[in-house]
Amino acid sequence: MLKDKLNAVLKIDRRWIFLALTVVLFGAIIHPLGLLSKNIARDTQNAYEFMDKIPAGSFILLDLDYDPSTAPELSPQAMAVARHAFRNNLRVGVVTYSAGATGLIEQLFAVVPGEFKKEYGKDYVILPYQPNAVAVMTQMASDLYGIYDKDKDGKDTRSMPVMKGIQNYKNISLVVCIAGTSITDIWVAYVGDKYNVPFIAGVTAISQPGYGPYLQKKQMRGLLGGMKGAAEYEHLIKTPGKGSSGIDALSLAHVMVAALIIVSNIAMVILKYL
Amino acid sequence: MKLIKKTIPLAIVFVFGILTLLTYYVPHKHSVDFLETMNKWENIVTAFAFFLGLISLFYAHSTKISRKADGWGYSLFVFVGFLAIIIPAYISKGKNMNGAELTWMGWAFQYIYNPLSATMFAVLAFYIVSTAYKSFRIKSLQAFVLFVAAMFLILGNVPLGQIIWDKMLGWTGYNISQVVDWIMHVPAVAGKRGIMIGISIGAVVTALKIIFGIERQYLGKD
Repeated sequence: MLKDKLNAVLKIDRRWIFLALTVVLFGAIIHPLGLLSKNIARDTQNAYEFMDKIPAGSFILLDLDYDPSTAPELSPQAMAVARHAFRNNLRVGVVTYSAGATGLIEQLFAVVPGEFKKEYGKDYVILPYQPNAVAVMTQMASDLYGIYDKDKDGKDTRSMPVMKGIQNYKNISLVVCIAGTSITDIWVAYVGDKYNVPFIAGVTAISQPGYGPYLQKKQMRGLLGGMKGAAEYEHLIKTPGKGSSGIDALSLAHVMVAALIIVSNIAMVILKYL
Repeated sequence: MKLIKKTIPLAIVFVFGILTLLTYYVPHKHSVDFLETMNKWENIVTAFAFFLGLISLFYAHSTKISRKADGWGYSLFVFVGFLAIIIPAYISKGKNMNGAELTWMGWAFQYIYNPLSATMFAVLAFYIVSTAYKSFRIKSLQAFVLFVAAMFLILGNVPLGQIIWDKMLGWTGYNISQVVDWIMHVPAVAGKRGIMIGISIGAVVTALKIIFGIERQYLGKD
């Protein structure tokens, strides 16, 4: 009898699991639990502190390379970092090497700069999509305008106040790359290491463990990992956003996965000895 | 014929391979100028590669449709999807926004590409959860180690997991964040570093083989 029941539990129709996950996710979205990380990850804290120490008026390069598939994790990170930069009166140049990111960048910068009364061309600029990241990164080491002489709308970038005094990496205080691709490795290898440019990254939770070697050797000054990284950064800049609201759903889904794995293995062990 | 098909391409690869490699170590003006020119060429060639890829994609799917091969109906959506983005992009002159308003292209991006792409990725979450339940069985020591590491990371990565850890294992004196930090910065880094070194050595060897003409598969079969 028990054996039959346990077998039924192990062979449950996967659609019941889909339904349970849907209920858990919707429940957390409709009724947020307000859970917040008690401990901020060391890498997120380092990223925040490095950015916070950059003097006002400095120029940072923000590379946003995510498309809608990874946007739920990475867009809150990008928003939090952009808000931090504008709050500290940093000048921001935005680049992308992912064609799918262009629309998301425009959506993001249609909202965030307005919160801080920042003007396009004076406080920030969005540079056009480029298909070949390695060529562009190498070019920017000598003369940024060799590639980015025009912004996304074809306006001359040299005459923009935001670009004043910016020629190459020597004039850039920090590169932040928020990406769902392996472009982060290219920044480290071709720019961070070679030209000694400080570098911070934001990546999806699934790819986060792979960046440990860069963090250990300080090739990365900090790292935001997935929605948790976004929520932590939002907490640090004291501006809750989609990272903080999404962390409840993520929490419950994670615990559900853990519970399912434990239940299925306990059932398996009992079956073995019955 | 051999001169055009083999000797000249091999010579070009050798000369430009060596010169580009040297630019990494020679900070002279001529070296920088050369690299800048190469970067521009590379961007132009990449743009042509996009066109080539597009032609190849269309050719493959139009052949499938004309032959009524299995699943040919899906190939129609390649063209539908292409037109659904390219026509608005042409009308909007490649711009997503016009001031604060969405252009046709911006609309297509936000209301077609964006939800479709996000849906594809979101569906994965459901399959991961059901697969974890149905397939994650601890039947060996390796599977047990994987299970323990996975549990620490699952609990350590979300606030609710941290609360559960504190309630159940708080008496150990260890914080889940400390455990996760150790896993991420010691065994995970060691494994990743080994993989990275292996891949890098492989990449260096392959690059040298191409530069010196030992690896010639890119030349084709003729």
